[in-house]
Amino acid sequence: MTEISRRVTLAWIAAASASAFAAGPSKAAQNGSPSPWNDAAVPPITVPGYGHDPDLKAAAVPWPLTLNPHQRAILRLAADLMLPADARSPSGGSLPLDAFLDEWISAPYPQQQQDRALIVPGLAWLDEEAGRRLGLDFVSASDAQRRAVFDTVAFRDKVLPGYEQPAQFFARLRGLMLAGFYTLPEGIADIGYLGNTPLSGDYPGPTPEAMANLNASLIKLGLKPFSPG
Amino acid sequence: MTQPKSLPHGGFEPDVVIVGSGAAGGMAAYALTRAGIKTLVLEAGRDYDPVSESAMLKWNHEAPLRAISTPDKQFGYYDATAGGGWEVPGEPYVNAPGTTFRWWRSRMLGGRTNHWGRHVPRFGPYDFKGKSRDGFGADWPISYEDVAPYYDRTEKLIGVSGANSGLENHPDSSPGVLQPPSKPRVSELMIQAAAADLGIPCVPSHYAILTRAIEHRHAPRQACFYATPCGRGCAIGAAFQTTTSLLPMALGTGKLRIVTNAMVSRVVTDARGRAKGVEYFDRTTGSTHFTAARVVVLAASACESAKILFNSHTAQSPQGLANSSGQIGRSLMDSTGTDIFGHIPALEGRPRYNEDGKDNAHLYIPFWLYKEQAAGKLDFPRAYHYEIGGRFEMPGARFGLAGAEDGYGLSLKQDARRYYGAQVSFSVRGEMVPNADSYCELDPDAKDKYGLPVLRFHWKWSDHEYRQIAHGVKTAKQIIERMGGRVLTPEMPPEQAIQSGGEIIHEVGTTRMGSSAADSVTDGFGKTWDIDNLVIVDGGVFPSNAHKNPTLTIMALAWRSMDHLASRMRKGEI
Ligand SMILES: Cc1cc2nc3c(=O)[nH]c(=O)nc-3n(C[C@H](O)[C@H](O)[C@H](O)COP(=O)(O)OP(=O)(O)OC[C@H]3O[C@@H](n4cnc5c(N)ncnc54)[C@H](O)[C@@H]3O)c2cc1C
Ligand code: SF4
Repeated sequence: MTEISRRVTLAWIAAASASAFAAGPSKAAQNGSPSPWNDAAVPPITVPGYGHDPDLKAAAVPWPLTLNPHQRAILRLAADLMLPADARSPSGGSLPLDAFLDEWISAPYPQQQQDRALIVPGLAWLDEEAGRRLGLDFVSASDAQRRAVFDTVAFRDKVLPGYEQPAQFFARLRGLMLAGFYTLPEGIADIGYLGNTPLSGDYPGPTPEAMANLNASLIKLGLKPFSPG
Repeated sequence: MTQPKSLPHGGFEPDVVIVGSGAAGGMAAYALTRAGIKTLVLEAGRDYDPVSESAMLKWNHEAPLRAISTPDKQFGYYDATAGGGWEVPGEPYVNAPGTTFRWWRSRMLGGRTNHWGRHVPRFGPYDFKGKSRDGFGADWPISYEDVAPYYDRTEKLIGVSGANSGLENHPDSSPGVLQPPSKPRVSELMIQAAAADLGIPCVPSHYAILTRAIEHRHAPRQACFYATPCGRGCAIGAAFQTTTSLLPMALGTGKLRIVTNAMVSRVVTDARGRAKGVEYFDRTTGSTHFTAARVVVLAASACESAKILFNSHTAQSPQGLANSSGQIGRSLMDSTGTDIFGHIPALEGRPRYNEDGKDNAHLYIPFWLYKEQAAGKLDFPRAYHYEIGGRFEMPGARFGLAGAEDGYGLSLKQDARRYYGAQVSFSVRGEMVPNADSYCELDPDAKDKYGLPVLRFHWKWSDHEYRQIAHGVKTAKQIIERMGGRVLTPEMPPEQAIQSGGEIIHEVGTTRMGSSAADSVTDGFGKTWDIDNLVIVDGGVFPSNAHKNPTLTIMALAWRSMDHLASRMRKGEI
């Protein structure tokens, strides 16, 4: 399996933590001080999960969704900014990413609960930060204004002092939106995954074009190319 | 414990009762029934039918949480494992303070063969005689030559695709045994090219996955159609699992009965100390039953079989049945494991094509340093291999950009397209040397929901394993760098990089075979030294655990041991 498992990721985080926070003393926040981060009021989910032996062919989400319409609206707008439409796929906000995020943070499992404690306050923070800057909430702000809020936290090397927690929220939101998006049919078409189709006969292997590309790369690396075909 | 009430298998009186229906039990049932022996399989798990239950061709977005692993389904929503995982509800196990051992179990007909990886390398001659080579651990009482015919027969029966490599201690299968290998994918070829440049072989892997259909009246199996991860269970029978092969074949003889939800608690002995049957709980009602048989065969998996023997203690054998050597539970081994990931710029944005293939790498890196090891040039005594990975995978809940996610907007979409399919992985799987600190025993206090004492595990890696892992990590990084890649796995000491005991799910050794009753539990045919009509056929009998995944060897040995048992029964020795 090539998927980097959560266990491995945690080990890496542990290994990296020695260096991660050596960023030096924080400068005074530009643009005034950031909106406070409030994670006090996120009630945990206590409903049961789908159990050890669910029906694999009739999958269903048994837990109730918990986000309100305003939170879902923030998510849709955020998804539009995060993954805008282009020639290869529609925008994140036009796909049910808000529903996916709601399903995710409403699930009764530890990882999802941990994300819940980041995402729910994060959505409130987007409103607060927009409000502090503009006197409007995130939904009522203009596209450019929403970008200005995103810009404070979206770029790993440019996170302003005092914005560390919102930046952590943003990174997680981005990760979840990427996963939510590229697992949907539109995202799968965009990324060019061509499998999950039963084939008859032997597995055909790489196309001539893929082999030619590989061989060109091997030559550049000073490695021996394969005979085509 | 209440007294037995009834025989819920319709008056069927078996000659042999087998405990468990996984790799070991399935093969034992196949071998015995084809020898005409009336056999009963008792399986703790529920009935399971991959044909109707497995989630073939389902997309991740059709499952809760994009099918990610959760505490309920620890290898993901679609994984075939029923009723189990690292924990089985109501059936706990305990770790001794300060140690970690993880035990993966399922509770379903066919056991873990329904969702295992199907990687089936053969052990070689060295692997049966490790102690003679380097002085560590224990030799097997049998040699490669004893098992070789059963490797051929087993590979042919279960269906193994791959190719012979001709490499040292990686024995070839006989002509006509293997099914054709599958064409390698682009990243596998790139790894092969880089490895070759470093003098490291990268050859076709052997998987228990059909590339050619197998006709059988009771168990017809199709060739792989190159879609759906095998861990979901394979409805078309291409990936080997006992539920679509050995069990229906054995049932087809008319000599087999299977009872599911039958949790065996102990082997029952008569006044002379011989096995006379087993006692079990009906998991659905909690009631207990007794089944008499001429022979009891344990195939519940290494640790489960040890647990049954511990719990079968009598006044004559207070430390557990068949345990006069004191070896039950000792010599617990797993494979060593760690994963190294790399991002390869030369694979970025490469042309798309369908890379599903057989759901595993079509190439792998077998151990290549036996000569150096024998010459004392390595600082670790036992071998390892790499299972490699890297392909355009069906996007799942962990879809990401190898840590390079940054910003938002169109650039994020472009990055996703560029990074997709540009990652490679190297999973080290190595042999550990058995040690006195790694074993299982009954916990003095903890009980399961049936009131039975449960296992307590003790675990410790030694410097042999740490040095081996360090070598595996270093070499994988060299291969990644030779491809111009960036190693994603941070630098860590091997003590941190190595996975916990049990996590590779190759646990063996707890009822080891040997050449003397003084220091082993069974002879070379899995027959316990103490009890003539009690045979063990799971990985418990391994005296050492080659880096090569154990299940092919479990099955080859089970077949060999059952042939031996059948001939003893025919001769009236039992
Ligand atoms: C995800 C995964 C990937 C793997 N990949 C590979 C691989 O690529 N190659 C490889 O060689 N191995 C692999 N393995 C290991 C492989 O699955 C095991 O080695 C193999 O299944 C062991 O066979 P077994 O018959 O001893 O045990 P199992 O297959 O576990 O079967 C034992 C059966 O006995 C039943 N049982 C247990 N206790 C009792 C009792 N008291 N009464 C009645 N029944 C009982 C269980 O419910 C179970 O059905 C993998 C395992 C997992 C989980
Ligand atoms: S990859 Fe092939 S063998 Fe594996 S589940 Fe899919 S069809 Fe079956």
